[in-house]
Amino acid sequence: MRRVGVVDAKTVALDCSEPDELARSLRRADDFIRLAVSAAWSVLDGVEREPLRTGIYVGTAFGPLETNFSSLATLLDDGEGQISPTLFSHSVFNVAAGYVARLFSILGPCLTITGYGWPFVAALTEAREAVAAGVVDLAVVVAAEVYSDLLRDAYCREFGVEHAPLSPGAAAWLLSAAGGVELAGVEVEDTPCPPALCLTRSDETFSGPGLEPVRQRHPMAHVEAMTRAVLAVKTPCRWEISASFGRAEIVFG
Amino acid sequence: MNGICAITGCGVVCAAGSQVDEAWDGFESGRVRCAPAPEWLFSTGLSCPVFVCPREVLPAGSDGWLADGAVPPGASRTVRLAFAAAVQGLEQAGIAPDGLRGKKVGMVLGTTVGCTFHDEDYFVAWRSGKEPDLEPVRSFLGNNVAQALHRLFGTSGPAFVVTNACASATDAIGIAAQWVASGRCDIAIAGGADELSRVALNGFTSLMLTSDAPCRPYDRDRAGLNLGEGAGVLVLEPEKGAGSRAIGRVLGYGCAADAWHPTAPHPEGRGLAAALGQALKQAGVAAPSLINGHGTGTRANDQAETTALASVFGSAAIPLISTKGITGHTLGAAGGVEAVFTLESLRRGETFGSVGCRTPDPELPYAPLPEGERVPLRSRTGVSQSLAFGGTNSVLVMEAL
Repeated sequence: MRRVGVVDAKTVALDCSEPDELARSLRRADDFIRLAVSAAWSVLDGVEREPLRTGIYVGTAFGPLETNFSSLATLLDDGEGQISPTLFSHSVFNVAAGYVARLFSILGPCLTITGYGWPFVAALTEAREAVAAGVVDLAVVVAAEVYSDLLRDAYCREFGVEHAPLSPGAAAWLLSAAGGVELAGVEVEDTPCPPALCLTRSDETFSGPGLEPVRQRHPMAHVEAMTRAVLAVKTPCRWEISASFGRAEIVFG
Repeated sequence: MNGICAITGCGVVCAAGSQVDEAWDGFESGRVRCAPAPEWLFSTGLSCPVFVCPREVLPAGSDGWLADGAVPPGASRTVRLAFAAAVQGLEQAGIAPDGLRGKKVGMVLGTTVGCTFHDEDYFVAWRSGKEPDLEPVRSFLGNNVAQALHRLFGTSGPAFVVTNACASATDAIGIAAQWVASGRCDIAIAGGADELSRVALNGFTSLMLTSDAPCRPYDRDRAGLNLGEGAGVLVLEPEKGAGSRAIGRVLGYGCAADAWHPTAPHPEGRGLAAALGQALKQAGVAAPSLINGHGTGTRANDQAETTALASVFGSAAIPLISTKGITGHTLGAAGGVEAVFTLESLRRGETFGSVGCRTPDPELPYAPLPEGERVPLRSRTGVSQSLAFGGTNSVLVMEAL
């Protein structure tokens, strides 16, 4: 197995503007796609890559949920057989990975992983394995969430709060077989728990060198904390994330 | 050939049958059970035929597998389909519920419809400013198929859903096989499940991909696809532990992007050819005895798929079939359902032509096996392949023991 390194890691917010050269290609894209593409661009721009030896791994809990509802609205408003083809085709979870592959000419593995626990860490696991096993030389790992107004409303009503901490955002890490902070291992284990806990994340904890403790409780919090810290970690070390719904471990060599 | 891992059981629920033997019988006899969507499933004015599973999909006697003794009322049809197929697979593998709970269980399931929120009543009420009861949202959060199966079985271990559209289940099996081989889990339940939905039916109709008649994969007179629902699951274990319980092996897995279009495959099947190359290389197989194709019944699919096959296999006369003529396109479940049909064909040493393919399209660069043909297989290795929206292509190479 080969050494795997994290060579770049960035977060992007919804108000980031997409790169000019991609604007035309993104004219039909929704926020989920824009976030994922912008995150991928932030770590891929200027990086030499062999298309067949590059992979894209996306982890998301809710995918293009807002577009799912927009698509449903066209069905309800316009009638059967009249659902918007563009909205429908953009409501599929792997649409963002497809855009990233197309816009950055990635011809290797293209995978979208969904779970309510730590889907980004799960995607990181698969990407690390692919680089280590020599399936690819470069892997871009993306987390993206847009949630939706419907979900935010449900959150507020379910948990009796005025504001749901569910802000759209994305992040990307670039893994390489050449250089970077050595990612020696990644593991995620799921434990059955009441589903609502994956939304409130009331007992989620982060621990490990450089990793800030939980500041806000939302499904992207661990991604943001890890992304802020990863390029500065002093190796060897390990991070652990735990909650009622399982545990995840990231080991740096 | 060195397998990645052993297959010790398989299960399937689809319109062709609610058990493997029944589905095989449907394959052998060319039984087509499609009709407009029944009212009990959802109400629609669309008359295009779909392939539906029985209303109640949980097998009799499955209660013993449930950690809490019952399936929660909010469990989605997708979760029930996946559970039913998983129970079949585990029973064939000779694994008892208590034995399963003592292991580190990997759950990798593919789905598309199964991870979306399609509760129309809730959405209509919410967007009109009302505050509908939150139960549909709670159910949505509880219906991530992989995590839901952990809850139903009372197991734990690595788990996620693959949402690679129509290639999801093929990827799920490939990933789970690697988990088992690397020791990340003791056993894996892998495959896919998807229920039919009114939104998906309307979506594919608006894309002008559905046929008003039973689908005709690879046929000159094809008119589009029929949606279906179902689940197909393999139980995977390390080869050493499986011993004589093994019924097959996963030999190779490949996944590659087209980088071409959100919904249409690359016309030359660029990504599929790359995925095939990866999977065959890992398997150490040059010429499998069977290709279970994606074969949806759309021109774009058939052209891309057969172009890729011609580029990889040349003029080799490896039978190319599609089982969608008897199952419909089960979306995120398709790769799981088709993996089961592939394995069963390899185990039985024969396969049958694609139902609906009566006049193979002469323009296709790789000739399919037409309806009514029955051929013995020359070896025990075969390919199951999937193409998907988003330009994903995924391939499994399997072997029967």
